[in-house]
Amino acid sequence: MTSVKQSSHFPIKWRLLDAAERVAALVWPRQLHSYTGYLLLVPALLLVFVLVIGLIYIGGYSLHELDLANYRLKESFSLTNYYTAVTSTTYRTVVLRSLYGSFLVTVITIFLAFPYAYLMVRAREAMTRKFLLISLFLPFFIGQIVRAYGWLIILGKEGLLNNIVTFFGFSPLELIYNYPAVILGLIQYMLPFAVLLLAPAITAINRDMELASESLGAHWIQTFIHIVLPMAKPGLIGSSVVVFTLTLTDFAMPEILGGGTTDFIANSIYDGFFQLSNSGLGAALSMILVTLGTAFVVVIFSIAGTGTLGFSRRSK
Amino acid sequence: MTGTRSKSFVLWAIVWFDLILLSLPTIIIIGASFTTGDIVQFPPEGFSLKWYGKLWLLDDFKAAFFRTLYVSLICTAVSIPAGTLAAIGLARYRIHFQTSLQVYLLLPFTIPLVVSGLGMMIFFGDIRILGQLWPVGISLCIINLPFMIWAVSASVNGLDYQLENAAANCGAPPLQGFLTVTLPGVMPGVITGALLMFILAFNEFLVSLFLTDARTVTLPVSIYNSIRSVITPDLAAVSVVYIVIAFIAVLLLDKLVGLELFLKSK
Repeated sequence: MTSVKQSSHFPIKWRLLDAAERVAALVWPRQLHSYTGYLLLVPALLLVFVLVIGLIYIGGYSLHELDLANYRLKESFSLTNYYTAVTSTTYRTVVLRSLYGSFLVTVITIFLAFPYAYLMVRAREAMTRKFLLISLFLPFFIGQIVRAYGWLIILGKEGLLNNIVTFFGFSPLELIYNYPAVILGLIQYMLPFAVLLLAPAITAINRDMELASESLGAHWIQTFIHIVLPMAKPGLIGSSVVVFTLTLTDFAMPEILGGGTTDFIANSIYDGFFQLSNSGLGAALSMILVTLGTAFVVVIFSIAGTGTLGFSRRSK
Repeated sequence: MTGTRSKSFVLWAIVWFDLILLSLPTIIIIGASFTTGDIVQFPPEGFSLKWYGKLWLLDDFKAAFFRTLYVSLICTAVSIPAGTLAAIGLARYRIHFQTSLQVYLLLPFTIPLVVSGLGMMIFFGDIRILGQLWPVGISLCIINLPFMIWAVSASVNGLDYQLENAAANCGAPPLQGFLTVTLPGVMPGVITGALLMFILAFNEFLVSLFLTDARTVTLPVSIYNSIRSVITPDLAAVSVVYIVIAFIAVLLLDKLVGLELFLKSK
């Protein structure tokens, strides 16, 4: 009984916590404790469910053909939109261009990102590491639109490069609104993602393995190919999946640096909805894009695991 | 030491190329923003701060800036509890269908942004919240939620679960153990995730393009719209605002949790 009397002398924080504890015990009694894990997941699951609803809407739209009489989707179900999307040479070109671009960007980005991640992880001086980290995070945090704008100033007609070219007496070059410009912009955009997904995997490589390889007489390139790359596999998987899918589905770079000449799938979807006012066709293209992206992720994950992409250690 | 001179030469050559690639657009924008001329060109014509002065006179810019700030704060505020609890739930509790749930929670990454954006546009239109600003904040939280869960997961996995057992053993009821042991233990992850969420929302463009209109346009969308018409130097000044915010965020992240956190192996 004395404890009750004493409790009023306890700090306010304790009493608040005790009250909260009683409320918690009332709302979520002990019998339910084995379900606490699920309870904690509820907000995240609900938020993500909005995307599922959106996907269901898109899937529904894709099954209705556009009625050219009133520019609305017909009531009846049909696969016409998919048929149009698959048979049209325009869209086939766009899909192939996107896939080829994603492949190109993935390969080049990882080639460029690997030495960056490697030197950053292995840097002996803290200053070097910090410098590399900041140089990586700054563009990462600046965002795609601003960076694309930067490229416009560099590559544009009156831009930096053309000023240099004309200074030496050459005629200005067409550096923008073409495929290479889009690829360049995408590589620059993807580089931080790739490095950040490679770095943890490289950290996990024991340095002694490299030393052992080299003391046995391997050239550093051999060590790199036979020791470092295979051991960095989780990072290579994680970064290729992210770079490939983000490139495949990118909108801004093809739009801004491609200027309508080098549409990727996302641009065609946008045009389907807003230029052609054919939301059914746009939706069908969306479903094709979702399928392509998911298929790629599923294939890679089932062959090689989730790499550095999993949320917890158990997922390995 | 590992490697030879040729190794260090080759690797550093690639890294210097990377560094130029990464920083060139930023440097050029900063340079272009100081021009005295009326068109964007490089090298800039003279040196002045006039475009920065004009910036504060632009009501459109200020309104878009504060709208962007507002949606980014909503995004961060929603993602902190949702992401933190999910990460703790996944790492600390016995859960059936663990893998399926992880795949589900990665949907924001696997569904292309253009599809997510259109889907939410149609859905929000149907329940008549399209055109308001707060759903934009929520949508930005949804599409970037895996980043938050990742950041906190790293911290939870690094936290010795015996600490929580010890707390329970010493008589801490569940809530108290959670609030005084688990939560402080995962704080570095929460801070990292929150900063990431804020900065990603502040930069997000594609989903915002679908969910905003002329009255609710956010800064990245309005920059995009301007790029498509005439490129004037005030846009460079707006972009510098972004560069400054990014720089502050990087320093803050480094001060609070240390950027080296991202190099840790899982």
